[in-house]
Amino acid sequence: MSLLAVEDVVTAYGKIEALKGVSLEVAEGTITCLLGPNGAGKTTLMMTIAGILKPRRGRVLLGGTDIAGQAPHAIVARGIALVPENRLVFPAMTVLENLQAGAFQRRDKAAVAEDVERMFTRFPRLKERHAQQAGTLSGGEQQMLAVARALMSRPRLLLMDEPSLGLAPLVVEEIFRIIAELHRDGTTIFLVEQNAHMALKVAQHFFLIEQGKVTFSGDPGALAEDEVIRRAYLGSAQQ
Amino acid sequence: MLADLVQNSLDGLAAGAAYALLALGFTLIFGVLRRANLSYGPAIMFGCYAAALTHQHFGAGLFMLALVTIAGAVLAGAYVERLCFAPHREGSAIAAMVASFALWMQFEELAALVLPGHLYAFPMLHEGAPLALGAFTFRIDALVLLAVAILVCASLWWMLYRSRFGLAVRAVIEQPTAASLAGINVPRVLVRVFALASAIGGVAGYLVVASNGQITPMLGMWATLKGLLAMMLGGLGSLPGAVLGGLALGLIEAHSQWYLGPQMRDLIAYLLLFVLLAARVPWMTSRSAS
Repeated sequence: MSLLAVEDVVTAYGKIEALKGVSLEVAEGTITCLLGPNGAGKTTLMMTIAGILKPRRGRVLLGGTDIAGQAPHAIVARGIALVPENRLVFPAMTVLENLQAGAFQRRDKAAVAEDVERMFTRFPRLKERHAQQAGTLSGGEQQMLAVARALMSRPRLLLMDEPSLGLAPLVVEEIFRIIAELHRDGTTIFLVEQNAHMALKVAQHFFLIEQGKVTFSGDPGALAEDEVIRRAYLGSAQQ
Repeated sequence: MLADLVQNSLDGLAAGAAYALLALGFTLIFGVLRRANLSYGPAIMFGCYAAALTHQHFGAGLFMLALVTIAGAVLAGAYVERLCFAPHREGSAIAAMVASFALWMQFEELAALVLPGHLYAFPMLHEGAPLALGAFTFRIDALVLLAVAILVCASLWWMLYRSRFGLAVRAVIEQPTAASLAGINVPRVLVRVFALASAIGGVAGYLVVASNGQITPMLGMWATLKGLLAMMLGGLGSLPGAVLGGLALGLIEAHSQWYLGPQMRDLIAYLLLFVLLAARVPWMTSRSAS
């Protein structure tokens, strides 16, 4: 059964519909990847699932419950965490405070402290810099902090909006190594990614969104066989 | 000469402490909403009038009057928040500001209606001779004002940097989208910050009115202008800046009044703001609030 089901979602900015009836599913325990050109509606979909944007129509089912139109903090309480595009760390707060903010709804202080330690084990750079202001971190470190902050709410579903954006190739490798690790530990991940080569290494299912509509759904094999997608997203470097 | 300088500075600091409190409230609201609340001063005036009426009818004591002022300011602040800022949370900042101007007018008319005389007596915080220490004198109410300002600043700092609510407030100030994604109920934080800012304004309003021993319908405009001026002097949106801006404004006013005459007092403060804005000094263009 799918953990997340998006059904016929329409989200608009004024009169312009950015999502024109999007339907897709994310199965529990998988990494699902959303591909698409700039302006196709990828970020709009992530923001709609997370509750930052309200859909005009359609349903967003998490474990069978419709959460469409709920406030973002209520959606966090239901178990969805979004690592937003451009990371959006709290720049003047310390690394540790950023993590504590991520656990804002949790009252179990001891377990939160344990999870902070767990994040520091997974991201040693964050431990080194725990007392530093987040705004002074490098882009890659900020991305790791944004991921760790999202994990602090112990989500059932982790949404990631272009985690590799603007990062050096070595850092991108590192981010994808972490994504694979999280998946291995049982986290369900729904990922927006432009870097289809990297996504192919980790994801089990792909959706393509173009001009606000889902135009492809399939596994990595089907993706690689699709002539149009191969040209647009994998280029000539496809092995 | 030197004695004058010191005495003026002491008087200026006391006035500056009130400005600092006004600016703190203003800055808190500006920090979380990114909108200027022109009705900030008039809401404080509402609290002060409520206290003046309470005194007229029931003759309540000083502490009770302070509580009535604060409660009145918070109530009026909640009215402003519901009418001007809740509907324009995602919309136009100008619309919210203009709406807050409209409520300013409401509060002023209300004040003129309830107490039609222009000037009313308000029970003094302290009557009698100021404290003399060598060549210098200290007004007791000024000392109370300074002490309360320090207490409020310390409590606010503790709240912001040591409490769970403070973490949420700073998160909302720095990055509201990320704050809601972290699970923080942003609208609720906004309402609470608004109430807190109104309460701080109420404290400032009470101390000023009780020091002057009188209340006029000009109080609203006075509080908004001084708060705005002090906030801008200290750098838009910075809380430590608001305190420094308030103290600086108090000192500037005290000295320009002494050396250049009372007519020049306000002119100098506005002139300084103009020069600083025109020169684009670095701290005034920074956007950080913590």
